[in-house]
Amino acid sequence: MADSKPLRTLDGDPVAVEALLRDVFGIVVDEAILKGTSASEKVCEWKEPEELKQLLDLELQSQGESREQILERCRAVIHYSVKTGHPRFFNQLFSGLDPHALAGRIITESLNTSQYTYEIAPVFVLMEEEVLKKLRALVGWNSGDGVFCPGGSISNMYAMNLARFQRYPDCKQRGLRALPPLALFTSKECHYSITKGAAFLGLGTDSVRVVKADERGRMIPEDLERQIILAEAEGSVPFLVSATSGTTVLGAFDPLDAIADVCQRHGLWFHVDAAWGGSVLLSRTHRHLLDGIQRADSVAWNPHKLLAAGLQCSALLLRDTSNLLKRCHGSQASYLFQQDKFYDVALDTGDKVVQCGRRVDCLKLWLMWKAQGGQGLERRIDQAFALTRYLVEEIKKREGFELVMEVAPVLKERMVKKGTMMIGYQPHGTRANFFRMVVANPILAQADIDFLLGELELLGQDL
Amino acid sequence: MTPGKKIPIFVDGVVLNGPQTDVKAGEKFVEEVCRLIMEEVVLKATDVNEKVCEWQPPEQLRQLLDLEMRDTGESQDKLLKLCQDVIHFSVKTNHPRFFNQLYAGLDYYSLAARIITEALNPSIYTYEVSPVFLLVEEAVLKKMIECVGWKEGDGIFNPGGSVSNMCAMNLARYRHCPDIKEKGLSGLPRLILFTSAECHYSMKKAASFLGIGTQNVYFVETDGRGKMIPEDLEKQIWQARQEGAVPFLVCATSGTTVLGAFDPLDEIAEVCERHGLWLHVDASWGGSALVSRKHRWLLHGIHRADSVAWNPHKMLMAGIQCSALLVKDKSDLLKKCYSAKATYLFQQDKFYDVSYDTGDKSIQCSRRPDAFKFWMTWKALGTSGLEERVNRAFALSRYVHSLPVRWSAIPEFVPILHWPKSCIKTLAAVQYSRSAP
Repeated sequence: MADSKPLRTLDGDPVAVEALLRDVFGIVVDEAILKGTSASEKVCEWKEPEELKQLLDLELQSQGESREQILERCRAVIHYSVKTGHPRFFNQLFSGLDPHALAGRIITESLNTSQYTYEIAPVFVLMEEEVLKKLRALVGWNSGDGVFCPGGSISNMYAMNLARFQRYPDCKQRGLRALPPLALFTSKECHYSITKGAAFLGLGTDSVRVVKADERGRMIPEDLERQIILAEAEGSVPFLVSATSGTTVLGAFDPLDAIADVCQRHGLWFHVDAAWGGSVLLSRTHRHLLDGIQRADSVAWNPHKLLAAGLQCSALLLRDTSNLLKRCHGSQASYLFQQDKFYDVALDTGDKVVQCGRRVDCLKLWLMWKAQGGQGLERRIDQAFALTRYLVEEIKKREGFELVMEVAPVLKERMVKKGTMMIGYQPHGTRANFFRMVVANPILAQADIDFLLGELELLGQDL
Repeated sequence: MTPGKKIPIFVDGVVLNGPQTDVKAGEKFVEEVCRLIMEEVVLKATDVNEKVCEWQPPEQLRQLLDLEMRDTGESQDKLLKLCQDVIHFSVKTNHPRFFNQLYAGLDYYSLAARIITEALNPSIYTYEVSPVFLLVEEAVLKKMIECVGWKEGDGIFNPGGSVSNMCAMNLARYRHCPDIKEKGLSGLPRLILFTSAECHYSMKKAASFLGIGTQNVYFVETDGRGKMIPEDLEKQIWQARQEGAVPFLVCATSGTTVLGAFDPLDEIAEVCERHGLWLHVDASWGGSALVSRKHRWLLHGIHRADSVAWNPHKMLMAGIQCSALLVKDKSDLLKKCYSAKATYLFQQDKFYDVSYDTGDKSIQCSRRPDAFKFWMTWKALGTSGLEERVNRAFALSRYVHSLPVRWSAIPEFVPILHWPKSCIKTLAAVQYSRSAP
C-alpha cells in the first residue's frame, strides 16, 4: 500500500513534496496557530518525562517511516508542546505569536542561508543594516555599529569582549595571562549571563563585582562608585559596567544617567543589558525608564521578548564608529572574505562576529515592523504596561493575594497539570518563592488578567 | 446597563477590553506567504532552468527593496509584495547549481519540522517550557554519540560550529584547571593549543574570545593532501613545553573547510594520550560521514576523542543551524563547567525531576530547538536514508574527479554537496580554483 511504504527523499517528486508540506502546514495552522493561541484550549498537555518519552517514540531507527506516521508525529509534537503564544502563558520573558513575524520566520527557514556575505545573502545583509540603524536611532544614535547575536547572553559576552579589547587591544593575540586581574560591575539583579560570560571569556566569575540594588531592584550608583574604588585598591583594573534595563525577576530599570556619570568619571565601558526593556524605547509614554541610554557604549536588546519577534532576535548595538567590532573579531578567513571580490566587501559582515555561519534574524522583525509600523508596536508596549497596572490594582483589591510563599510550587504543579496557564516562580534574595507575571503577548486583554487571578484563587483555595 | 453593551476599561489611556486581535486574518497572511514559498522557493528554485541568484549591486538592491521601517504599517497586499521581492532577490541555496558554501539543498522533512517549531516558538532551557524538544534533543544526542562510537556521553546543541568549538576549548581548559572558572587566567602560565594549518578559523576566534590569545594557537604542518602531520604535532608539543608553556588541547579536523581533508585521528589520539591533552575533533563537515558504513573509516579513531563538533546542517541538509557538541565525559563536566544555577529558571523544588532541565549546560539562556528538524528527517529517512545521501555525495565527488579536467593540487575529498537525482550529470566546480596554485 502506497502510504505504508517508507518515504525517501522526495527529490524530483514535486507532487509529493507539495502534498507533504501542505498537510503539515494544515496541521500547524489548526493546532499551533489557531488552537495554540485560543484561551479555550490548554496551554500545555502535561506528561511526566518518562511517559512522554514512550508517547513520542523518540528512538532513531535504521529504516524510514510512512507518510502517515510522519504526519502523526507532527500532530503529537504540537499536542505535547507548550503553547507559548497562548494568552495564559506567562512563564518566560517571551510570549505571543505575531503572524507577520511568523511569516518572516517561515521565509527565513525556506531560504536557509547564512548572514556572512553579501554574495550569499544580499537581501539580508542590507536588511540587517537597516534594522540595526532603526534600533540605534531609538537608542538615540545617528551612527554606530552592531550585529544580531544568537541570544542576549551572547550579546552581553560580545560587549564584554569589546570592552576588554578596547582597553587592551593586545589581549586579542596575547590573551589575559599577562594582564592584571580585570573587574566588571553589575547589579545583583543582573542576568546570569554576565557571570557565565566572565567565566567563558577567561576573566573568572570572581571578576564580577556585585553592586547593591534598592528595594525596587535598581542598581545603587553610590555603591557602584564604592565598589570601583575598592576593586582598584585590591589591584584589579575596572573596565566595564553592565547596567540592566528591565531586570529578569523584578523588571527593574537601573538609573542609567547616574551610572553613566560614574562610568565617565572612571573611564569605564558602559554596557546596558536592555534585552527585556529595550523595546520600551518604542513607547513615547514609557521610554523615560531608559533615560540616559544614549550615553552607553553598547546596548543589548532582544525584540524576541517584548516585541514577540520569535526566538532568536537579539541585537547588540554599538555607539562606536571606528570598526571596533571588526578589529576585535576579524580573522580575514580567505575562503569567505576574499578582498578581490566584485563588490564592495565592506558589506560582508561575517568578520564582525565570532560565529561563522549565522542565522538570518532580521527578517521576522523587519516584516512585523512593516506590518505594524512603529506606532503599532508602540501601542503594544503601552498595552502591556496598562495591563500590568490593571493587574496590580486588581491584586490590591482581592483578599488573600500577597507575596506567595511555600505554596508556589504546588500552585504551579496544579496549573500545569490542569493546563490552564503557566506562570514562573522563583525565590528572590531573602524572599521565599513568588510568582513573576510577565505581560508581553500582543493578544492579551483584560479578560486574561481577570482569568489568571480567578484561577489562582481557585487552584489555591484549599491552601 | 443595556444588555450586551460592554463598558470600556481604560488604564493609562489604553482600552483593555477592546476588540480582540484577529487571529484568523493573521493566519490568512501566513497561508499566503506559504503559498508563495511553495511556488518560488520549494518548486521553482530546484529547477535548473531557473537562476540561482538574481544579482543586483548593493546600491541598486537598496532602491528595489524599500527597506525603510516607518511609523505606519502597510497593507496586506504591499506586505505580500515585499515578501515576493525578498524571495526574488535572495540566493536560492537549494538550487542544484549552488555550490558556494558547505551547506546547500533543501530537505523537506526538515523544512516541515522548522515550520512547526517556528509556529510553536519554544525555548529549550527547561522541561516545563519545552518538554518535547528537550527530550528530542536528548534522543538525537544519544544517537550521534552512538555514531561516534561511545556507549554514553553528554552534549548540547549550539548556534553553530564555531560556538561548539569554543565550548570545547573552554571545557578542555576547565578540565585542565577548574579554578579558572572563578579565578580567570591572569597570572597563570601560558596555555597552548594545537590545530592544523588547515583548521577552521573559528579556532583563532575562540582563542581570542576565551582570553587565551591567538598567538597561543600553534599550527601543525599538513601534508600534500591537507592532513595534519602527527610527527609535527609531537615535535611542537615538546617545543612548547621547553618554552615553559602549557599545552592543554589538540583540535583535529575531520573534513577541512577548503580541501575537505580528514586528519589521521588514531595517530593524533596517540599523541594526545601520551601527553594528557584533550582531543577535540572538529567534524562539523565530516561528522556526517559517520552515518555511512562505506565512508566512516575516514574518521577512524574518533571514539578516542574527548569531544566532537558535528554540524548536520552541512552534509545532511538539516537546515541552519544544527550544530552539536558531543562530549565523552560522563561526570557532568559540561554542567559543572557552564552552570550558573539561575534560581528563576533552574529551581530545585520543581514538581518533576529537574535533571531534565539541561539548559544550565549551555552558554546560552534561551535556545532554539535545533535538534528537532534533524530528528524529523532521521525518522522519515532512517539511518539507511541518511547513509544513501552521504554515499551519493561521495560518489558524485568521485565522478567529478574522473572527468577529463586538468587537476592541480588534488585533494582527497572535495566538499561536494548533495543535489537531486535529475542533476547527476552536472559538472561540479567546487572551490578547487581557490585551492589550486
